[in-house]
Amino acid sequence: MKKGRLRLSPSLANRLTIGFAIAFAALTGMAVIGVARFLEQRQDFEDATARSYQLEIDARSRLARGEDPRAARSAVVSEQRQRQVLRDEITADTRDTALLVGAGLIAGLTGAALLFTGLIASMRRPLEDLVEASGRLAGGDLETRVAVGGLAETAALGGAFNEMAAELQRRAGERDQLDRMKDEFVLTASHELRSPLTSVQGFAELLLLERERLSPKQAETVEVILDNTRHLVRLLNDLLDLARSDAGRLTIRREPAAAAGLIEDAVRAMRGQIEARGQALGLEIEPGLPEVEADRDRIRQVLVNLLTNANEYCPEGASIGVKARRLDADVEIEVIDDGPGIPAQQLEHIFERFTRGDAGETQRVGGTGLGLAISKSLVELHGGSIEAESTAGRGATFRVRLPAIGSAGPTVTHPTTAAEAS
Amino acid sequence: MAKILVADDSETILLLLRTRLELEGHEVETAADGEDVVTAVLRDPGAHALLLLDAMMPRKSGIDALRELRERGIETPALVVSAHADSRDDTDQSDLTISGYIAKPIDFDNLFTKITELTS
Repeated sequence: MKKGRLRLSPSLANRLTIGFAIAFAALTGMAVIGVARFLEQRQDFEDATARSYQLEIDARSRLARGEDPRAARSAVVSEQRQRQVLRDEITADTRDTALLVGAGLIAGLTGAALLFTGLIASMRRPLEDLVEASGRLAGGDLETRVAVGGLAETAALGGAFNEMAAELQRRAGERDQLDRMKDEFVLTASHELRSPLTSVQGFAELLLLERERLSPKQAETVEVILDNTRHLVRLLNDLLDLARSDAGRLTIRREPAAAAGLIEDAVRAMRGQIEARGQALGLEIEPGLPEVEADRDRIRQVLVNLLTNANEYCPEGASIGVKARRLDADVEIEVIDDGPGIPAQQLEHIFERFTRGDAGETQRVGGTGLGLAISKSLVELHGGSIEAESTAGRGATFRVRLPAIGSAGPTVTHPTTAAEAS
Repeated sequence: MAKILVADDSETILLLLRTRLELEGHEVETAADGEDVVTAVLRDPGAHALLLLDAMMPRKSGIDALRELRERGIETPALVVSAHADSRDDTDQSDLTISGYIAKPIDFDNLFTKITELTS
């Protein structure tokens, strides 16, 4: 059923015409009949009254002439009575006619009212159903349908609505299936690639265990194999996280954790790599930093990602700083570097996937272009936020905010973590 | 050093695990799938100090093999090696006593630490 646009159907137009016709016919018919009958009766009354006056005049002249006075007197009285009867009759007829016309009017109007009420009622229910169904559809219930019936208009509307809902459902189904296939593919690919990667990485490590038996050139070659394998693993992990995030299946396991401890873990993991490039790494944690509700591995992943970026994009000898403090109800962690910074047009898209530094830069850096997109998803899953601030040529700052536990209450101090921090 | 039963459907990975574990001084027995694991353990219960099982293998997975062994009352400590770091989300393994998960690619330092904890 494909209809370009909705027009008033013959059925509704007919019903309206017939309704009007019946109402007018009833009204006009009753008025005409009533008035005609009344005029006829009025004429009869006038004729009869005239006749009666004539008879009375005749009787009075007979009386004046002294002819049969008794009969004449009786005739006068009789005619007077006769006219009284006629007057009563015409009064009754007038009343009846008025009643008849009134009844006609009432009947006509009632009929018309009933007809319109019926029409409105027969459109109202389906329309109300449609309004409700549209609400459900907009709310995401793609299985919603309306009963098709009643007037041709509402039936057509209902049919069109059902068709639209079915189409939406079909497309959503196709999209879901494509998404599932994509997720399935990424999961399978990730799984299938992991075994060979395990072998490559494992045997390369095995070779390095006997480093003293390798020439420097050979050892360096094995290091290259290992570096690239680790990069592939990172890419694989990022793709998996991203596919999960897209499918809404990126989950975190949160538990209370000392923010200071989380930060120190990440810094400890990255210190060697940062110092290997002759870069300075400073750590400033405000004493008494509260706990956060966090998935330790995931927050560590975020901080390691930020530190890795700083490490890789900054030149040798740069300085990188990590600062953490309590800010309102949050713990704010900043990763600050004095490297080349991020141009404004890149900064705008920095948390979008596959957004990376200059082509020349990325050749050298070799990240996956996914780290910040995943970091953003992860921080947001924690109910936090992440932002970047930079002026080209004057370094960059990445700021992560995580909701602190018991932010409404007094600051909880953790002697151990505070001691470690100092 | 106690004997470790290692199961993986990839011969290369079995070779890698055997080599690294033997270098650490462990005695290693290998199995190609879950069926082999169950057979090997039931043949001589108590001979193994640790099971190192790949979570996904053809015929019978490491998880299914472990479930069967646990049902038969065998409580040998087990480490599950899986392709996904967070494989515990994928299947319900809450009824099994699992001493730890090892993600692929394997971080051997981490693996050796766990083995030492479980076998000493």
